Amino acid sequence: MIWRPWPQGLIGRVILVMMSAVLIEFTASSLVFERIDLNSSRAEQAHHLAEQLAVASRILGETPEARRPIVARELSSQTATVQWGEGSFRPPEEQDGWLARLPADMERWEPTLAGRDLRLDLLGGEAGPRGRLIASMRMDDGSRVQISTRITTNPWEIFWSGLGSVAVLSAGVLLAAVLLVRIFGGPLRSLAEAAESVGQGAPVHVREEGAGDLRRVARAFNAMQGRITDLITARTHALAAVSHDLRTPLARLRLRAGLVSDADTRESLERDVDEMSGMLDSLLAYLGGRQEAEAPRRIDLAAMCMTVVDAAVDAGETATYRGPERLAADIRVSAVKRAFENLVQNALIYGGRADVSLLEAGDRIVLRVEDAGPGIPEADHARVREAFERLDGARARNTGGLGLGLSIVDRVAQQEGGEFILANRPTGGLRAELRLPLASQK
Amino acid sequence: MLELQFDDLVAAPPVVLVVEDDPGLRTLLMRTLRENGFHVLSAGSGPEMLRCLEGAHVDMILLDVMLPGANGFDLCRAVRQTSAVPIIIVSARGDEADRLVGLELGADDYVPKPFSAKELIARIRATLRRTRGQVGPAARPTRAQIAFAGWIVDPAARELVSPEGVSVELSGAEFDLLLALLSHPQRVIGRERLLELSRARLADASDRSIDVLVSRLRRKLSGAGDGNAIIRTVRGVGYMLAHPVKRV
Repeated sequence: MIWRPWPQGLIGRVILVMMSAVLIEFTASSLVFERIDLNSSRAEQAHHLAEQLAVASRILGETPEARRPIVARELSSQTATVQWGEGSFRPPEEQDGWLARLPADMERWEPTLAGRDLRLDLLGGEAGPRGRLIASMRMDDGSRVQISTRITTNPWEIFWSGLGSVAVLSAGVLLAAVLLVRIFGGPLRSLAEAAESVGQGAPVHVREEGAGDLRRVARAFNAMQGRITDLITARTHALAAVSHDLRTPLARLRLRAGLVSDADTRESLERDVDEMSGMLDSLLAYLGGRQEAEAPRRIDLAAMCMTVVDAAVDAGETATYRGPERLAADIRVSAVKRAFENLVQNALIYGGRADVSLLEAGDRIVLRVEDAGPGIPEADHARVREAFERLDGARARNTGGLGLGLSIVDRVAQQEGGEFILANRPTGGLRAELRLPLASQK
Repeated sequence: MLELQFDDLVAAPPVVLVVEDDPGLRTLLMRTLRENGFHVLSAGSGPEMLRCLEGAHVDMILLDVMLPGANGFDLCRAVRQTSAVPIIIVSARGDEADRLVGLELGADDYVPKPFSAKELIARIRATLRRTRGQVGPAARPTRAQIAFAGWIVDPAARELVSPEGVSVELSGAEFDLLLALLSHPQRVIGRERLLELSRARLADASDRSIDVLVSRLRRKLSGAGDGNAIIRTVRGVGYMLAHPVKRV
């Protein structure tokens, strides 16, 4: 499967959109709120530092200078280190805005620090776990005291804890997506399936369920399908009725033809009637395939092939049969026979001869008809299966019929769960195969 | 004409009732039948047909399926309740389902339009021959079937079923030949007689074509055993069905 960044399904897209929303929300809140969060926590730390600094300077101021380093050590705790002496600080111009503003903030919080040349700096990187904030002030006697304290809050911690809330949100999105699948997906899928099967057999009714809009779509779809089915049925019935009705005048014509004394005229009249009758038969076979389903029966396919081939031979054509003497199969007899006769007729008309073979290949029974004609160009193999399509222009021979022969074969193959395959033989001529499933042959 | 030499036709000409609503086709049918030695009555509708049946002796009904006001199948059923007169259904609908419905309702044969005069006459003769002696008030069994050597033949449906229950298709001429052989089981039938009996179906009638027909029939019967064992050649004379025949 190819991975596509933009999912093809509706549900996938909905999830993607919702996830994007969550991500944007998370990023925005990280940038805005957690920055504030971080700063306020640092300010708190700075205030604490200011208090510690004030206390340390008062205690050290009352201590003799010799003892000051010792007292300073005693004042130190696990988080804060007190030192007496000069420290090194970057000048405030090189520090970022927040750090540069901090001394004024600390002086407001602890007024005793005012006018004490308060200096601050960060050591060991702001974000790292070893980052320290140091502050130093001038004492009454001019010497300096400094305190360095570990920064307890770092931005990564806040970020990682934020991920937890993202996970919760994502779970929520997935849950919502599952609900969406249930609410929209089912009805949409059944609608799509129904739309795909329109025109391929019985009408499919779509259940009107789901959200209001989807119910309306389903209702509209059902109504549309009903109209199309009615339209097709009406036309099919009309065409079938006309075809049936034409048979009575044709029957008259055929009987009248028998009364004509001139043999040539009589024969050509009879040929005309045969041709018209053949057209009606193929039209009705074509229409009939859409209307009624014939029940499969168990018949001998070999006998069927022999009958058709013998009839062609009796009519003065060249036709042969090669295959078993007996091959039983459960098929829709008149449909398959019709399809097979069409293949043989085509071979005789366009290919001069019909060589029929019947064989079993894998899970298929193959009815193969080969001729010695020019074949059909590869590019036209799909087109000749279309109803009312003929390649007479290319074949430069005017032949009777409506151009339904191969489309009937194609449909019969589909109905039987088999295939209809056309191929040009390497030695010339066309090979047409009607393959029927052996599976249902028990 | 050769047809008139048939022993079943030499006495009084058979009476055929043509039930057809199309006046043109009715006239043509009557003319064709008359020219072939039948006595013809005609009716344009169901009620007319029933009146005809009451008033006259009829040997066969040629019944169109689509009639004004009544369906030919209903008429067929109605006739069958009181009479066993042979019925051939003539229909503009040539599909298999219709044919089976017609035969199920007691019709003896089914001819789709448009038919040739030759084909129609042959079917009428075959049906008359098959049902001869069965015409009468006593209802005969519908769809009489014939069994031989495990095979079953349904003359009305023109169907042959093998001992394994597989339907084996025969051409019209092959089926007629089989019926001819079945009508005289275990008796030799000469080539000429066989030719007469199945002649209507053959494009070119010759002694040789009977041999071809027999070999084709044997080939189709051979699956369940030896086709030669079922149809035996009697050298210089003709053929014989080697098995006893039973009506079922």
